[in-house]
Amino acid sequence: MNTNSNVYTVIYTTVIVVVVAAVLAFAASSLKPLQTANIKAETLSQMMTAAGLGDSESFSSMGNDAVLATYSENIAEAIVVNARGEQIGVLKTDKDHIELIDNFKPENKAITEGGEPRLPVYKFKSGVTVIPVFGAGLWGPIWGYIALEKDLKTICGAYFDHSGETPGLGAKIKDEPSFKAQFNGKVLNLQNTKNPFDIVKGGAPEGSIDKVDAISGATMTCNGLDKAIDTWVGAYAAYLQSAAPAIQEAEVAQTVEE
Amino acid sequence: MANFKETLLNPILKGNPITVLVLGICSSLAVTVQLKGACVMALSVIAVTGLSSLVVSLLRNTIPNRVRIIVQLVVVAMMVILVDQVLKAFAYAVDKQLSVYIGLIITNCIVMGRIEAFALGSKPIPSLIDGLANGLGYGLILIIVAFFRELLGSGTLFGFQVLPAGYVPNNFVILPPFALILLGCIIWAHRAFDKELQEK
Amino acid sequence: MEYVNIFVRSIFVDNMIFAYFLGMCSYLAVSKNVKTANGLGLAVIFVLLCTLPLNYLLNKFVLQPGALSWLGESFADVDLSFLSFIIFIAVIAAFVQLVEMIVEKFLPSLYSSLGIFLPLIAVNCAILGGSLFMQQKDFANVGESAVYALGSGIGWYLAIVCLAAIREKLSYSNVPAPLKGTGITFITVGLMGIAFMIFMGIQL
Repeated sequence: MNTNSNVYTVIYTTVIVVVVAAVLAFAASSLKPLQTANIKAETLSQMMTAAGLGDSESFSSMGNDAVLATYSENIAEAIVVNARGEQIGVLKTDKDHIELIDNFKPENKAITEGGEPRLPVYKFKSGVTVIPVFGAGLWGPIWGYIALEKDLKTICGAYFDHSGETPGLGAKIKDEPSFKAQFNGKVLNLQNTKNPFDIVKGGAPEGSIDKVDAISGATMTCNGLDKAIDTWVGAYAAYLQSAAPAIQEAEVAQTVEE
Repeated sequence: MANFKETLLNPILKGNPITVLVLGICSSLAVTVQLKGACVMALSVIAVTGLSSLVVSLLRNTIPNRVRIIVQLVVVAMMVILVDQVLKAFAYAVDKQLSVYIGLIITNCIVMGRIEAFALGSKPIPSLIDGLANGLGYGLILIIVAFFRELLGSGTLFGFQVLPAGYVPNNFVILPPFALILLGCIIWAHRAFDKELQEK
Repeated sequence: MEYVNIFVRSIFVDNMIFAYFLGMCSYLAVSKNVKTANGLGLAVIFVLLCTLPLNYLLNKFVLQPGALSWLGESFADVDLSFLSFIIFIAVIAAFVQLVEMIVEKFLPSLYSSLGIFLPLIAVNCAILGGSLFMQQKDFANVGESAVYALGSGIGWYLAIVCLAAIREKLSYSNVPAPLKGTGITFITVGLMGIAFMIFMGIQL
């Protein structure tokens, strides 16, 4: 048989392409559930790290099932709000059907272009509320979770991650514990929806409550993170302000009853 | 049987793909900061070189010469995607750490080099062994480099603290250039030991 | 401003050779003299510049999760990202083959000086790596990906020409026998990498 004729070459390549595509499609679709479970567990670990329920290393060593179980034990409720602060949905939290909004890209577009974003709010039993932030770093998307105290403006934990910032510089938003620790105890300025929080190059002034220091040498990444926080917290401001007094009143009522 | 043994041992010592043939450096050095990543990378490369050598060897009499390179690339790419999908499903954290370097196994010169030089002209079983052995030779160097980088750079091995707590990690070791210098030293040692390999 | 930033960073800070070790095989094999290094470097810039924007468009309109939504609502959930490696490498291999044929036919003089490097480039990690990093970095538009391609290519070119110049001088020095050739080259590249690290703190 002549393996160098045109007809043979064309048929051969077609067959190879079809076979390869079939094998890959089969592998991809059969492994997909496991992969999505991994991504879900990772999202939950990051969120719970921000909420102070553990650190990312202990979550990654405990296995997907245990992460899902921990989340569903500790979460009080997960709701979806819009930019005017109205509740527009509920996310399921029981272990086998956990629902998340983990694709932030379309929501980010909706926020910046005045659309109708679906903003998730995760309320944990410890009283901590976690909201996500998302934006662009120097090299790609950066995202993270900010945990708030009961007054819904004091930060009690933060976790940031990135897809490809320069190791040793921009990547420090994830790897440098002291950067994340700075956020603890700071207060979001919710009256100013354009700029509720600042990451300041060259050091935050002593005693400021809504500013932290940027990482030196990672200006672009920090600017991106600052913008991400401003955009997302700005979008949440309406909800955070309207929900805060309600929670405090409920507590006061509870104390009176006791 | 002696022939098998030679096919297996030659790529690990005398014809090591990294230190002697200088192939496959591309994707190897960036993953050697930690032993765990290096081990996973080594296993992935062993799987890819072995399997794609086997498949190409099975197809060797049917491949049209004109589209040879593309067909080989497709076979290799398929293996790499399979490895990547399996890692994403079963070792997600490691897969994230290795990021684009798993994909870069496709252009790892060892894989293509062995297919061109060996698998295209040999029977399936020897090709499989040759592929596996070359992957092993590559993995061995990877693990040696990672051992030193993790030990000196973080004071740990596989994430466990090995050096006493007072050890100040040497940050320079974690940076990319150190991997090159270390590899230069490994080649130095290898060639000082085996004088036949020295260049004129 | 964004373009300048990406351009400078991809040449100096995220240099393909010194920060990511991409394209090392041909980098070490073809850096014995400046003339050939020059040819290969230019070929890499050219191929990167052509394939990377092409792969960007493919990624954006075919491969990304939900990328096929322009075909209609029912395609919005299709996720073909598992095919990206194979598509990228196919584009690169096909493009290299094409360029080789065109150059051979119409520019024989260029072919004789550059032609032998073209087949090498199909398996140069820097080219595929560029496409994979492009996918990871999630650029906003084709322009940014093209600037990134140009910057990475120039960074690679710079690295190989520098090394070739050093190796030409090195051939006259008295290097210990076991370290000759490959060994000393690795150490040289390592030292060059350290020199390049001064750019790490660069602020724009």
